[in-house]
Amino acid sequence: MKTLAVFSAVLSVLATAYASSDSKSTLPSTFKPPQVFKNLNLVHVISVEKNYVKENINVLIENIDKEAQDEYYLPFTGDQMSRVGGFEAKDRKDASVGHFKVEAVEFDPESDIQYYRVHLPSPLKPGDRQALGITYYVLKAYKPLPASIAQDEQQFLTYSFSAYAPSVYTTSKQKTEVKFPSSAIPDYTKLPGSGDVQEFPQKQGTKLTYGPFDEKPAGAAEPVEVRFEFTKPVSHVSELERDVEVSHWGGNVAFEERYTLYHRGANLSTLFNRVKWAQQQYYNPVSYALKEMKFPLRVGSADAYFTDVIGNVSTSKFRSNKREALLEIKPRYPLFGGWKYPFTIGWNSDAKHFLRKVSGSSYVLNVPFLEGPKQPEGVEYESVVLRVVLPEGAENVKYQTTIPTSSITEAKVEIHKTFLDTVGRTTLVIKARNLVDDFRDRELIVTYDYSLLASLRKPLIIFITMIGVFVAAWVVGGVELKFSKK
Amino acid sequence: MTAATSSSSLDLLASGGRGKSSRTLLRVVILLFIAGAAISSRLFSVIRFESIIHEFDPWFNFRATKYLVSHGFYNFWDWFDDRTWHPLGRVTGGTLYPGLMVTSGVIYHALRALTIPVDIRNICVLLAPAFSGLTAFAAYLLTNEMTTNSSAGLLAAAFMGIAPGYISRSVAGSYDNEAISIFLLVLTFYLWIKALKLGSMLWGAVCALFYGYMVASWGGYAFITCLLPLHAFVLVVMGRYSTRLYVSYCSWYALGTLASMQIPFVGFLPVKTSEHMPALGIFGFLQLMALLDYVRSALPSSRHFQTFLWAAAGGIFSVGLLGLVIATSAGFIAPWGGRFYSLWDTGYAKIHIPIIASVSEHQPTAWPAFFFDLNMLIWLFPAGVYLCFQELADEHVFVVVYAVLGSYFAGVMVRLMLTLTPVVCVSAAIAASQLLNNYLNLKSPKPEDHTVVEGVDVTATKKAKGGLKSTSKPVVGIYSLLSKGIVVASMTIYLLLFVLHCTWVTSNAYSSPSVVLASRMPDGSQHIIDDYREAYQWLRQNTKPDAKIMSWWDYGYQIGGMADRPTLVDNNTWNNTHIATVGKAMSSREEVSYPIMRQHEVDYVLIVFGGLLGYSGDDINKFLWMVRIAEGIWPDEIRERDYFTPRGEYRVDGEASETMKNSLMYKMSYYNYNALFPPGQAQDRVRGARLPEVGPTLNTLDEAFTSENWIIRIYKVKDLDNFDRDHAAAAAFDRGHKKKKGLKKRGPRVLRTE
Repeated sequence: MKTLAVFSAVLSVLATAYASSDSKSTLPSTFKPPQVFKNLNLVHVISVEKNYVKENINVLIENIDKEAQDEYYLPFTGDQMSRVGGFEAKDRKDASVGHFKVEAVEFDPESDIQYYRVHLPSPLKPGDRQALGITYYVLKAYKPLPASIAQDEQQFLTYSFSAYAPSVYTTSKQKTEVKFPSSAIPDYTKLPGSGDVQEFPQKQGTKLTYGPFDEKPAGAAEPVEVRFEFTKPVSHVSELERDVEVSHWGGNVAFEERYTLYHRGANLSTLFNRVKWAQQQYYNPVSYALKEMKFPLRVGSADAYFTDVIGNVSTSKFRSNKREALLEIKPRYPLFGGWKYPFTIGWNSDAKHFLRKVSGSSYVLNVPFLEGPKQPEGVEYESVVLRVVLPEGAENVKYQTTIPTSSITEAKVEIHKTFLDTVGRTTLVIKARNLVDDFRDRELIVTYDYSLLASLRKPLIIFITMIGVFVAAWVVGGVELKFSKK
Repeated sequence: MTAATSSSSLDLLASGGRGKSSRTLLRVVILLFIAGAAISSRLFSVIRFESIIHEFDPWFNFRATKYLVSHGFYNFWDWFDDRTWHPLGRVTGGTLYPGLMVTSGVIYHALRALTIPVDIRNICVLLAPAFSGLTAFAAYLLTNEMTTNSSAGLLAAAFMGIAPGYISRSVAGSYDNEAISIFLLVLTFYLWIKALKLGSMLWGAVCALFYGYMVASWGGYAFITCLLPLHAFVLVVMGRYSTRLYVSYCSWYALGTLASMQIPFVGFLPVKTSEHMPALGIFGFLQLMALLDYVRSALPSSRHFQTFLWAAAGGIFSVGLLGLVIATSAGFIAPWGGRFYSLWDTGYAKIHIPIIASVSEHQPTAWPAFFFDLNMLIWLFPAGVYLCFQELADEHVFVVVYAVLGSYFAGVMVRLMLTLTPVVCVSAAIAASQLLNNYLNLKSPKPEDHTVVEGVDVTATKKAKGGLKSTSKPVVGIYSLLSKGIVVASMTIYLLLFVLHCTWVTSNAYSSPSVVLASRMPDGSQHIIDDYREAYQWLRQNTKPDAKIMSWWDYGYQIGGMADRPTLVDNNTWNNTHIATVGKAMSSREEVSYPIMRQHEVDYVLIVFGGLLGYSGDDINKFLWMVRIAEGIWPDEIRERDYFTPRGEYRVDGEASETMKNSLMYKMSYYNYNALFPPGQAQDRVRGARLPEVGPTLNTLDEAFTSENWIIRIYKVKDLDNFDRDHAAAAAFDRGHKKKKGLKKRGPRVLRTE
C-alpha cells in the first residue's frame, strides 16, 4: 500500500509537472495570494450523493483593495490538489458570460497549500461586488468505515472536510451544506452552535447544515467528518483510454474505450460466498457490489463489443434503435470493494453523425469527450487519455473542448501507424485528469484539413505495390532455374 | 464445402478443355476453392463463439508465442519459466517444439512489415485453418506423384481439406503443434517421394529441410523418422535397391538428422534413443548395400556372389541389430519410451504410466471413430491401396507401407488418427478418381475391335480397362449410358454425403472451444456458460501476481494463459512425482494435505465441479486418476481401493467410503453445496446422486471464489493459526461458539441421572 501511495504521489507530481506547460503559471515559492477580496456571503454545498464529491462554492465577493482586481484564489491542500478536478467558475448573476478562465497556480510543489486562480472576465473595481459560482469535484474522497464488511452488509463511507469553506480571504458569513444519498447518517462531527442554533449541524432529511458562521479569518478551518450509508459501488476508473478513429473511406467513426475499473469501497471481511450471493440476488438485490453498467451511446451506434484481456465477455446486451443505443454490460464477476476489473468496450457509428465537411478540404469532427457508463452512483475518472485518430495525411489539426481546461494536462498531435499506413495517421492525443461522469455531454470539436490527394494515397500505394508484385513475379518467372538437359 | 463437388465437376471440364494453360488455370482455381473450403469449414467456432484459443495445450502455445513476440527469439530460446511447476520451474525454451511459435512469430512480424498489424491472438487462432489450406495443396502434390491421373490430386486435396480426422486438430483456435505439422508431414512425404523418384540430392536436401521444420514443430516427427527407413528397408528387401534410393535416403538422413539436432529439446536424441535407431541402422545398411553393389559391378557377376551378397547383407544387418540390443541394455542407447510401449501394448500405460493413460486422446480408438472421422474414405482407402499394389512402383510401396503402419497406430491411439488421415485421403482419391475416370471416359469399343477380339475373352480386355466385369455384348453393361449414369451418380451422391458428414462432424464435434460452453435458453437463444474465464479473470485481477495456484494438471496451461498465475503442475507433465504430489494433496485428508500445500507455498486451490450444471468433465470424475497417480509414488498412503465402497462402487453420496468423504477433493467439491438446496435435497447432477444432508466441513481452506454455475471453485489456503492451534481445533472453536448457545437451551436434557 505504501509503495502504491508513493507511486501515486510521484504520478501526481509528474502530472503537475506536465501540466505546467499548459494551464499553470509558475510563481516564486514564497507566493501568497494578495488580500484584495473579502467574502461577504459564502454558501458551501458539498454533495456526497455519488461516489465522488461535488463541491459548490457560491460566494459574493467584494474588492477591498484600492485597485481593480481580477484574480481570485482558492486554496487546496497538496493532497487534495491531486484529486481535485473539473474546476469551473461562473458568474452567478449572469449566465451568459460563460465559464471563467481558471488555472492551477504552480509555485512550490512541496508546499502544503496549493491554489486555483479564477480570472474574472473583467477586473472588479474597488468596492464592487460579484457573485461567483465555483464548482469542483474531489475524487477518491471517501474511506469506508468499517473498512471490511460482510457480503450482505450495508456499506458506510466517511468524508472529512472543513466546516469553514477553504478561503484565502476573510469570510464574513458562511454556511456549509452537506447532501447525502440517504438520511442514514449514523455519525457526524458536532460543533457548538452560534446565534439561535444550539448545535451544528442541523439535520434536515438527507441534508446536514453547518452554520451559518460569523466572520472567520483567512485560512480558518474546522475539520469535521461525516459517516453515511452508501450501499452502492464506489467505482473508480483509474485510467480510461478512449480512441476515436475516423475513417473517411469507410464513412465510419470507431470508438474503443479501455477502462481500468476499481471498486474503492469496503473490502469483504470474509471471502466471496457464491451461495450467499445467489440468495442475496434473489431476496435483496441491493448491494454495494458492482453488478452492471449501462452505457447510453449516441443513437445510431452499432457493432458494440465488450471484451477483456482473455476475450469476449458474453454477459452484455446491446439495444440499438431509432431512439437509443444502450449497451448494458455485466462484469464477469460482481465487483466488491478492493476488486479490480479492467475491460474494453467499443462500437462503430456512421461518420455522418459526427463529421462535417466545412469547405474544400476542411473538416469538423464533433464527438463527445467522454462517454462512460451512466450509473446512479456516478463514475470518476482519475486519468483520461483521448486519442482521436484522423485519416492519414490530415493536417492543421485544431481542437476545442468544453471540458474544463484546468483538467486537461496535455494535448499533442502524434503519428499513429496501423493498417496499410505509409506515413501514419495524424492523431490528436488529449490527456485529462480527475473527471467525473457529469462531463459526459461535453464535446470535443476537432477541425482538420484533409486533401483529396491525401485520401487517394492509400489506394494508390496499394495499387502500385500490387503492380510491383506482379512485375516482380513476371521477372522472376522468366529466370531459367533448371539445369537444362539440352 | 462445395469445392469437393465442384472439384470433380470442374475437373471434367478441365479434361474437356483444350490447352495446357487453361488447365493450369483451372487447376489453380480449383485448388484455391479447396483451400477456401478447408479454411472456412474450420471457422465454426469463431463464428459461433469468438476468436479464442481452445482447450488446454493451445493455451501454453499461445502464451509461449506471446512471450516470443514480446521478448524476441533469443530470450525465448533461453526462456526459464518460473511461473510453472512451482517451485521447480521449467526450462521452457529447451523443452518445447518451437516450430509453431516461431511460425506465428514470423507471420506476425511479416504482416507488421507489410503494415498489417494483426493481433497475435488472431494469428494464433487462424494459423491452423490457414495451414490446412496448405495441407490440401501438399496432398495434391503427393497424390500427383502416385498417379498420372490429374484429377486424383484434386480429389485428394479436397478430401484432405475437409476430412474430419484432420479437422479435429485444426479448427480455428486449436493452436497446437499438429496445426502446422500435418502440413509438414505430408509435404515431407511428397519431397521424399520426389527425391526417391529422381534420385536427386537437391530434393533430398529440401526434404531434409522440411523434416527439420517438422522436428521443430511436433513430437510426431518420429513417425517420419520411422516410416522413411521402413520404406527404404522394404524397397531393399524387395530387391529394389538403387542409387536413387541411396542418394535420396542418405541426403535426407544426414541433413535431416543434423537439422533435427539443432532443436534443444531433441538434441542428441537422434543418436541416443531407440526410436531413432531404425533410421541410423538403415543408413548404415544402405552404405553396405552401396559397397556390395559396387563390388558386384566391379566383379564379373556370378550366382555365388549373389548368395554371398545376401548372406553378408543379412549377416551384417543382424549383427547391427544385435549390437543395438546390447547397446540398449548396456545403457548407451535409451530404451523405448513409455509412450512408445503403449503403442504396442495398449494396456501397458494403464498399468505402468497412469499419467499417459489418463489422457483421453491416448486411449485406443473405438471402431465407430474410424467411420466418424473418415466416413466413406474408410472404404475407398483399401481400394486405393489395392490400386497401388497393382502398379507397385517405389512410391506405391510407400503408400502401402504408410497405410499399414498408419492404420495400426490409428487403431492403438485415438490421437494418431491424425497421421492416418493423409494416406487415407491419398489412396481414397486414387480409387475414386480411377472409378470416375473409367466410367466417364469409357468409350464403347468400335465394332472392328470386336471382330479382332472375338473369340478371345472379351471380359479380359475390359477388365484391364475398367477392372469390372462386363457382359459379352459391347454396348450393354458398363458401356451403356445407364450403368455409367448409375455409377457416376452414386459416386456423386457419396461425395455429396461425405461433404455433409464432414460439415456435420466439424460443426457438432470439433468446434467447441471447451473453455466456453454453449447452452440454450428456454426461448431458444444461445446462452454462453463462461465459468472458466470468469474464475480465471477473477484470479488474474484480484489475487497477488505471484499467488501459487494448485489445481489438477489439466488446468495448468489455462491458468498460466488466462489467469497469469504460477501453477504447481501443468499439461507438460514432465515431472510425474510433482503431479503425484498434487494428486496426493487432493486425495488425502486435510491434515495430510495441509503440510503439502504449505510446503509448496500454495495460496489457492482451484477445482472443477460439474455437479450443479451436470458438466461431466469435472474433477470428481477425474479423481481416480489423481488417486492412481499418487498411489504410484506413495503406495503405502494412497490406495485406490479405499475410494470405493465395499461393494466396489465409486459413489459420492452418503454411501461413499470414509476415505472418499475425507479426501480434500471431495470436501472442496461439495463444501457449502448443500446450502443451495432445501435441506436434504442436495443433488449431484453429473453422478445423479443425492448428497448427505450434512455437507463436509473444511478446516484448512476458505472458499474464495465460486463461479456462477459452480464449475470452478477456488479455495484459499489458510495461514497458520494466530494462536498456534491446529486448524481443526481453531475451526471447531469457531463453530463451538454457536453450538454452546444451542446446547445451553437443551441443558437439562443432558443432565445425567444416575
